Amino acid sequence: MRRFEMILPSSVDECVKALATHGAGAKTVAGGTDLLPQMKNGLVKPAVVVDLGGIAALKGVTNGAGLRVGACATARELELHPEVRKRYTALADGAALVGSVQVRNLATVGGNLCNAAPSADMAPPLMALEAEAVIAGPKGERRVPLSAFFTGVRQTVLGADELLVALVMPAPPVPPEAGLYVSGGSYIRHTPRRELDIAVVGVASQVTVQNGRCVKARIALASVAPTPVHATAAERALEGQPLTPERIEQAAGLAVEAAKPISDQRGSADFRRHLVRVLTRRTLTAALARARA
Amino acid sequence: MSVMKTTRDVKGVGLSIPRPDGPDKVTGKVQYVADITPRGLLHAKLLRSPHAHAKIVRIDVSKARALPGVRAVLTAADIPELKGKPASRAHAVLAIDRVVFAGQPVAAVAADEVAIAEEALDLIDVQYEVLPASVDPLQAMKPGAPPVAELGTEADLSEAMAHSAVAMAKGETPTKAVNVSQTAHVKRGDVAKGFAESDVVLEHTYRVPMVHQGYIEPHAVLAEWDRSGNLTLWASTQGSFNTRSEVADVLGLEENRIKVIPVECGGGFGGKIRALCEPITAILARVTARPVRYVMTRREELEAGMPAPQVIIRLKTGVKKDGTLMALEGETVLESGAFSGTVLAVSAVFLGSLYKWPAFDIKGSEVLTHKPSVAAYRAPVAPQSIFAIDSQMDALARALNIDPVAFRARHLSKPGDPMANNQPWASMGAPEVLQKAGAHRVWKEREAWKKGAKPGTLRGVGLSLGGWLGGLQPTGASVKLNPDGTLSVLTGQVDIAGTNIALAQIAATAYGVDIDKVKITTGDTDVAPVTGLSAGSKTVYTVGVAVLQAAQAARKQTFEIAAAELEAAVDDLELVDGKIVVRGVPGKGVTLQSIGKKGNLYMSKVEPVIASSHPAFSQQAPAFASQIARIELDPDTGEVTLKDFVIVQDVGKAINPLAVEGQMQGGAVQSLGMALTEGLVYDDQGRLTNPSLLDYRKLTAADLPNLETVIVEVPSPAGPFGARGVGEPPIIPAPAAIANAIADATGVRLTEAPLTPERIALALARRGAG
Ligand SMILES: Cc1cc2nc3c(=O)[nH]c(=O)nc-3n(C[C@H](O)[C@H](O)[C@H](O)COP(=O)(O)OP(=O)(O)OC[C@H]3O[C@@H](n4cnc5c(N)ncnc54)[C@H](O)[C@@H]3O)c2cc1C
Repeated sequence: MRRFEMILPSSVDECVKALATHGAGAKTVAGGTDLLPQMKNGLVKPAVVVDLGGIAALKGVTNGAGLRVGACATARELELHPEVRKRYTALADGAALVGSVQVRNLATVGGNLCNAAPSADMAPPLMALEAEAVIAGPKGERRVPLSAFFTGVRQTVLGADELLVALVMPAPPVPPEAGLYVSGGSYIRHTPRRELDIAVVGVASQVTVQNGRCVKARIALASVAPTPVHATAAERALEGQPLTPERIEQAAGLAVEAAKPISDQRGSADFRRHLVRVLTRRTLTAALARARA
Repeated sequence: MSVMKTTRDVKGVGLSIPRPDGPDKVTGKVQYVADITPRGLLHAKLLRSPHAHAKIVRIDVSKARALPGVRAVLTAADIPELKGKPASRAHAVLAIDRVVFAGQPVAAVAADEVAIAEEALDLIDVQYEVLPASVDPLQAMKPGAPPVAELGTEADLSEAMAHSAVAMAKGETPTKAVNVSQTAHVKRGDVAKGFAESDVVLEHTYRVPMVHQGYIEPHAVLAEWDRSGNLTLWASTQGSFNTRSEVADVLGLEENRIKVIPVECGGGFGGKIRALCEPITAILARVTARPVRYVMTRREELEAGMPAPQVIIRLKTGVKKDGTLMALEGETVLESGAFSGTVLAVSAVFLGSLYKWPAFDIKGSEVLTHKPSVAAYRAPVAPQSIFAIDSQMDALARALNIDPVAFRARHLSKPGDPMANNQPWASMGAPEVLQKAGAHRVWKEREAWKKGAKPGTLRGVGLSLGGWLGGLQPTGASVKLNPDGTLSVLTGQVDIAGTNIALAQIAATAYGVDIDKVKITTGDTDVAPVTGLSAGSKTVYTVGVAVLQAAQAARKQTFEIAAAELEAAVDDLELVDGKIVVRGVPGKGVTLQSIGKKGNLYMSKVEPVIASSHPAFSQQAPAFASQIARIELDPDTGEVTLKDFVIVQDVGKAINPLAVEGQMQGGAVQSLGMALTEGLVYDDQGRLTNPSLLDYRKLTAADLPNLETVIVEVPSPAGPFGARGVGEPPIIPAPAAIANAIADATGVRLTEAPLTPERIALALARRGAG
């Protein structure tokens, strides 16, 4: 690892200032589980590292009308959070899959998203839950839907002087508050190894059902395109329909069309397309079961 | 000899005694090379080629040399002694004019800090002229393939010698194709006639990619010179004497000027036999006149270590309907990377020797490619060869609808049967191992268990059998009696597998004291008796004999001193609880303590008790293991879940059953990794695409079921107390056992390892579609 300077801001403002001063030569660090291996392998060589660990505003998970997840909330926190486990199950699923317990104690949701790997396990669940990214910069705060946050492999809408502050998302309806609406979600990924592995394909599904018909379906895919993507055709095919096994199978087939996978050392494009179908079917089935539970 | 009579069972051979080094290892107290930090230490880093094959047009190191904190920057041009040596990995210290694999070092830096050394690497400007590379071994054999070696290719047989694995009956030497550096050929009988008379002929091509040994501690070395030109190396090595010889050869130094101190070795599995980074570190230390330490990163290990060869085996086998074996034809290709050095003969012998084929014709080629050169990996080439022959036997049994265990048992070679090289099989327990495995509940109850599969999942049970011929190497040990009656045992043997506890148990039993009175020391190359490699399942098998003989000789010396003192015949003495007594005369005796003391006392006329032994060996002890896998398989994703795994192994005599079980389980885990997930994956330019442990997938505890061990003891004639080697056999059977279990679950035979979910799911999808 190359030598670097470390800055320890204690507020979002200080952090934004530091980033504005040092520009592209600076890198923020949260848990460091992506950044440090990249620095050790010489893939990135920042002259300045800005530690987000001392900024209270980035921490914690707040549950109200919806959910607010601080950018520095860890995967472990999300995995264990009672409300996340109950109502935002796809997110709990995704968080619980990251690395190992040791990694999850460090890994943050902000780092997972800002690192912008196509395989990030927390991205599809948050997209399926229609989360928005809260971003801070020199001109103040702005909000971007997560589905528009990623712009390419390891690229996001964030400017060099911006940082991700939090994710906010509406609460999926659950009875009794929402009458007959029920919602459930699920995230499943495939990896050759049970733990400590990166998704060959990951699929998150969130379905809301009213009177036996699907009123909303959100399906997001990891590792099948330069960014996590929505399977929009599959979503549309489900909305307004009863979620029969046949419908689900049809949607799984449509989801494959949203996938533009490449072949690499983790899996061939053929296998990835095959997995999109299998995992879309499985997550929709699981989401529906959770909605009814 | 009556002095060797055991008078009372001492605490020694046969007991499960935990390794004394365990607690320090798991609590991080042990000092490895990377922890040794002498005053004035410099850190080394190597600049490595990004290209698999390229001409070095120009290297400019001036900017790197100018960086503050940099003490030396070297290229091959700065090290004249590298010129003109035969092409080998050890000699390829820094590339001269041409690089032959991605990751090959082209320049070396020593600096005050690791970070400074890394920055210096960024400042070295190398201009390459990229050349076409030979990446696939089968392509590399074809006319017109880019050649790897400059002038003809020399077979390097030292690895084969080191493992003493097999003596090869040299067949005719076919003309070598491009990049073929070694060939082997064994045949017997009329193969064409055998196939013509067969009812069923099966042909498959098996492939196992390059895999990395995966020792926890990467290669590391610390080098320091004294003012008289003597070199000390603190090394993580499997054989300090071998390291000394190789470094002496590269540096042109006399061996007695090099002291290799074997530091605690965090695993080797064959990957730390040959010199790798020791010579360049020694050169940097000489140039800077400072101690220099080099610790490889995990990425460097994966990109530029010395992995196991890729093995491609085409097998064609013919049998009669009643199961009679008729003919086997085999063609083996071992991909050796940029330099020769595989144990080609082992493969041919295993394919042709394990089962009694009346006719066989097996050809082998070692092929060079533009990849890192390979080395041994625990039972080199045996898991790959057994993957082929055992899968083939299983497929034949299934095709004939014969019980797979009965089919193997019927054709299995027995002691005395001729091997493929016409030497007779030595005493071995393969039949006993197979019989025990076949009788195991997990195998016996397979049909009932399979019926319990949940909807949407498939269940399968697979069994396989494999073995290792056993290694040999001359070795030495000494035993001395201390003034307090304790024993000190000295060897040069690096303990990478818990062998020191077994050696202590042997010394205790042979001398006649409890193990807590015995301490084993691994000496450096200046003080230790000559000792061989910790490799090839031969440490306890050979060093154990040296220790046994030295302890027996020390006991004899002790008894003779006691006899003189007690005025009794040696034959009338016995050793009970640390005291030598005259049998039948209570109260008359002399303690070991007093004998030890007299041997060390000022003005004493009693000789000290010091005995040594340095045997050489000629008789190998083959050792076999069978493994049974119960798997559950998700046909949609191809995911395999191991539900139960059983390891049945002939160890001759379990000197320390606990340590033996540890070897059986550890070997099985590596074998399962090879079966399910591991493989170095190269792109078509010869660059590694998975240079991290995230993508080079060793199995984790979460992937593994309970690993049940069943010890079988068929004593070897020459091993200490009948012991056989235990390290290699357990890494051999799993790839075949898993392939057989998958075939059992799905009816699909997979022949390319690792048997990944992708391969399984796509094979099932293809079958579904077809
Ligand atoms: C062994 C291991 C296993 C892993 N397994 C998985 C896995 O299963 N699934 C998975 O998805 N990932 C996995 N990862 C990757 C990693 O752990 C996750 O992506 C993690 O969530 C990253 O979070 P972090 O806080 O450690 O990020 P860091 O490494 O601190 O940062 C990552 C990147 O994001 C930027 N960044 C961080 N926070 C912010 C912010 N608030 N605003 C702007 N930019 C920011 C940093 O500058 C950096 O570029 C694994 C990593 C390791 C080492």
